[in-house]
Parts: sequence; structure tokens; C-alpha cells
Amino acid sequence: MEQVGLAAATHDVSLWALFMQAGLVVKLVMIGLLGASVWTWAIVIDKYLSFNKARRQFDQFEQVFWSGQSLEELYRTLSDRQNGGLAAIFVAAMREWKKSFERGARSPIGLQMRIDRAMDVTMARESEGYEARLGSLATIGSAGPFIGLFGTVVGIMTSFQAIAGSQSTNLAVVAPGIAEALLATAIGLVAAIPAVVAYNKFTADAGKLSARMEGFADEFSAILSRQIDEKLQTRQAAQ
Amino acid sequence: MKASLTTSAIIHATALTFALVSLGAPEPLDVSYSESLPVDLVPIEEFSQIQQGDKNAPKAERAAPVPTTRPDPVENAENFGDNDVDIKAPPMPTAKPSDNESAAAPAKQETPAPVVDDKPTASTEIAKEDTAPPPQEVASLPQPKPEVTPPTPVTEPSPQPETAAQPEEQMPLPDSVPVPAMRPKPEPPKEQAKPAEKPPEKKPETPKAAEKPSDKKIADKKQEVAKASSSKESDFNADEIAALLNKQAPANGGAKRSQQQAALGGKKTTGGSTLSQTELDALKGQVEKNWSLVAGVEGVEGMIVTVTMQLDEAGAIVGRPQVKTNGGTSDAARRMVEGSVVRAVMRSSPFKNLPPEKYDTWSEVVINFDPSGLL
Repeated sequence: MEQVGLAAATHDVSLWALFMQAGLVVKLVMIGLLGASVWTWAIVIDKYLSFNKARRQFDQFEQVFWSGQSLEELYRTLSDRQNGGLAAIFVAAMREWKKSFERGARSPIGLQMRIDRAMDVTMARESEGYEARLGSLATIGSAGPFIGLFGTVVGIMTSFQAIAGSQSTNLAVVAPGIAEALLATAIGLVAAIPAVVAYNKFTADAGKLSARMEGFADEFSAILSRQIDEKLQTRQAAQ
Repeated sequence: MKASLTTSAIIHATALTFALVSLGAPEPLDVSYSESLPVDLVPIEEFSQIQQGDKNAPKAERAAPVPTTRPDPVENAENFGDNDVDIKAPPMPTAKPSDNESAAAPAKQETPAPVVDDKPTASTEIAKEDTAPPPQEVASLPQPKPEVTPPTPVTEPSPQPETAAQPEEQMPLPDSVPVPAMRPKPEPPKEQAKPAEKPPEKKPETPKAAEKPSDKKIADKKQEVAKASSSKESDFNADEIAALLNKQAPANGGAKRSQQQAALGGKKTTGGSTLSQTELDALKGQVEKNWSLVAGVEGVEGMIVTVTMQLDEAGAIVGRPQVKTNGGTSDAARRMVEGSVVRAVMRSSPFKNLPPEKYDTWSEVVINFDPSGLL
């Protein structure tokens, strides 16, 4: 930072000098906004990776599911794993189905309802996972500029107070204070803009994943209900 | 989540470091500080209506130049000064009166005229000692002269007798010798230089025995002329080209005498003038004397009557005066006052005691009256 050293004799206006010259409130605002920006990008990276992974898992599971493999077999391979998305819904439904049949369920309607409930609960848990932390993106996106603006207003207020004290309206006296104050708004915008963009993209992605899960759940529920009917008929015929 | 948070923090740290290094202080704008120029707003009257006076004197009602000291009046003089002859050069406190009109500025007086005169002679003497003729030869010069032309005095300092003597000698004059018929008096520097130089020049011509080469003398003379002219180079004043052609020391102004106290004014009168306050008051008084306002008229408090009238050179009113009233409380009073003012103005025509030389300024006069003061 040689420039800083050279320019310090007159009036240093580099980024670091601007930050150091700022008052306590403005500094806090800037640091907070910087933290918000770090958090935003952390969420963005995390969501990007997890959504990609989820989509890939959905594709793989659907491929396996519609490949004609028997559901029992699929359940056996999946049940000892940590599952997410469609696989989790499938495992939850199959577990409920197994429990009910092992104990010899009487009512087909009650069984159908229990399986649907189990799938709904799993689906809600999964969607919650997808939408987690998107709320903080929204908050940063909408509040970031205001927080920056707050820092700017405080900074400009301070610099006007300094003008009143020095009795000079020379632009050279006013300029550093205003530049430093505007830095707060700049950081606020830097944090807010990616947050808004990411929020819009990830809510849309999460919505797509949820729709996909719902579609699968409905389809699987139909398959299971057909199975229940078949089993009940065979059981009645045997009796 | 932890991994992505770390990644994000690392990315931010990198970006910030890069920004701090690459986005250093922006280049300061290259502003050259210039001193602010003081600006005076000067009404055009200060140039178009200047009266002759003194630039440094305090302002007075009438502009007047520095009073002159010599009492003897000169007929029809236009320029102030103590001179006998009316010339345009400004009066000089030091110079003696003369009829010489030249442009040398007063500031140039730091190098006094006598010093300028001495220089050429001194240099010629030195040059002569250095180059050629020994003092004996110069001393011997006058001796042959009486033989040829006895009536001319030998040690005549002024060039006039010498030029008078030349026709008798019947010798062709050198081209560079100034002809005195052009001007009444030749320049002082040359006057001083010539007497020392002429005798040796004439000497080789008259006896023809002396073998002194004359080209050396001519070289000497050229040197002198160059010296004399270079000593006055910086006197240039573009305003007075005509006077500049004369290379003599500045003279002593015009011949118009001034007895008044010096007052603020220009170098010369540029026409126009304003009526002084006393003249305006006199004009007003003439109208007010003829103005009879009915006592007890209500509503004239704070009324201002403005009369605009055209006058001819004898002071008589041309046409009808225009009257305007402002202020006052009643329309009737206003109308009454207007009528009475017009009557008063018409009655006091022709106006007296107006300076005829300022007719330009009082050909159209605007006077303000306050009728409440007359009741």
C-alpha cells in the first residue's frame, strides 16, 4: 500500500483509508454488511451444491424406480442408507406399508391414509431442508441497501457536523467524509444484489423440487393403493 | 454448510485484498490553483463623461487638474500646464517649460536627461584615445581654421555658427550631418557630441595635407548615433506616436492655467458631464418659487412628483413637461399636485443659471419634488 503512504500527506481516499476514517457507527454498519455478504455467498454456494446433488439423486432414483425392479428389493437396498428427496419418500411409504402388513392390517382405507401421511411428512421435511436459509437471503436482499443507506446518512451527518465545526464549505473538506459515507451504501448494495438474485433463483429451484416430490408421491401412492387392493383380494380369496 | 461458509469467507477475503491493492486511491484531479481576479464594476459614465482633472486627487464636485504656478495666460489654450506653448504632453513637475512635444513617459525620468547627454561624449572621447588621433592633433586643428575662414570663432560650442560657416568653405557636406532647417532646435545629445567631433572632421577636408583617414571618424560617429538612439529605446508609448518621433526629453504640458484645487478627473475631457447638485438645486428652486400649492390639501404626505422636461439652449421649455406622481393617499390630491407642478414649470421657463457648456446634460432634465415640504 505505497499509495496510501504517499497520499496520506494530503488526503487519503483509498478504500482502506476511507474505512479507517469512518466513525464507529459507519464502521459497524460496514462490518455487518461485509458479514452479510459472506453469509449470502456461503448460502449461495451451499444451495447450489445441494440442489445440484438433489436433482442428480432424483434423476438416479427415478431411473431405478421405473426400471422395473421390484419395490421390495429397492426398499431393501435403500433402507440401510441415509436417504434424501424421492428416496426418502419412497422409504417412508414402504416402511409404513411393511409395518401395516406385518401386523395384518384390516382396513385398506386406513392403510392408504397412513401411507399418504407418512409421505407428506417426509416431503414436508425435505422441502423444509431445501428452503432453509432462503429466508435470510431475502432479508439481506431487502434490508442490505437500507442498512448501507443508514451508514451513509450517519456518515454524511457526521461530515456536515464537521463542516459546521470547521466553518469551511470547501469541497476538499466535505469530500472525504461523503466518500466514506457512500462506501457504506456501496457495501450494502454489494451484499444485497447477489442475495436478491440468489433468493429468486433458489426459491424457484426449491419449488421445482417440491413439485417433483409431490408428483412422485402421488404416483407412488396410486401404485401402493393398487397393491393394497390386490393383496386384499388375494387374502379374501385365500380365506 | 461449514465448507461453503469457509469458501465464501475465503472468496471475500481474496476479493477485498485484490480491491485494496488494485483500487488504490484514485488519481487526484489535477487542479491548478489560480488567484481570483478582482473585478470592478465601472459605470460607462466614468469613461464617456470624464472631465479633465487629476487622477490621484480626491473626488470633488468639479474635476480640476493640478493647479498651475505661472500666472501669465495664453490665448485659447486647451491643455493644462505651465508652458508657453499649448502642447498635449502632460505637465511635468521637474521639466522646464519648452515648446517641445515628445512622448517620453514621466516614469522614464529615473535616468535624468543630463546623464543621457553625457554618455555619447564620454564614449567618443574614450574611443578616440583608443583608436587614432593623439591630443596634439586635436589641439592643432583650430589653428588652420582661422586661415581659411577668419570670421568664424574657433571654439564655438553650438553647431549653428558652424553650419553657417560651411557655405563659405564651399565644401560638400557629409550626408549624415543633420540639417537644422527641419526643426527649430536639434537634439541635445547630438549637439553635445558634434562640437567634439566636427573639428577633426573638418580639418582633413580643409587643409588636405593631413593624411588622417576619415573612415575612422565615420565609424566613431556611427557608434555615437547608435548609443544616442539606444538610450531612449524604451520610451515607446503607442498612444502618442506623433510625439514619439521627437526624441527630446518630455516637456511641461500645455499652456492653459488652472487655479482650482486638484480634483479627481481624467487626462482629458471626453465630453458630457452631469449637473452638479447645486445646479440641480438652483433649477428646483426656480420651479418651487413659482409653485403655489393650495394649503390644506389632504393626502400629499409621502408623494413624490417626477417632472421630465426638455429645454432648449436658452433654458426655455420645449413642448410640455411630463409629470408623474407616486405615493400619496388620494387620487384627487395627486391630480391637483400634477396640475400645479405643470403650471409652476411653465411659469418658470426660461430657466436661468444653467451652464451652457453642459447643455447636453440639461437638454432633458428629470427633477423630483416632494410637495409635502412646500405646504
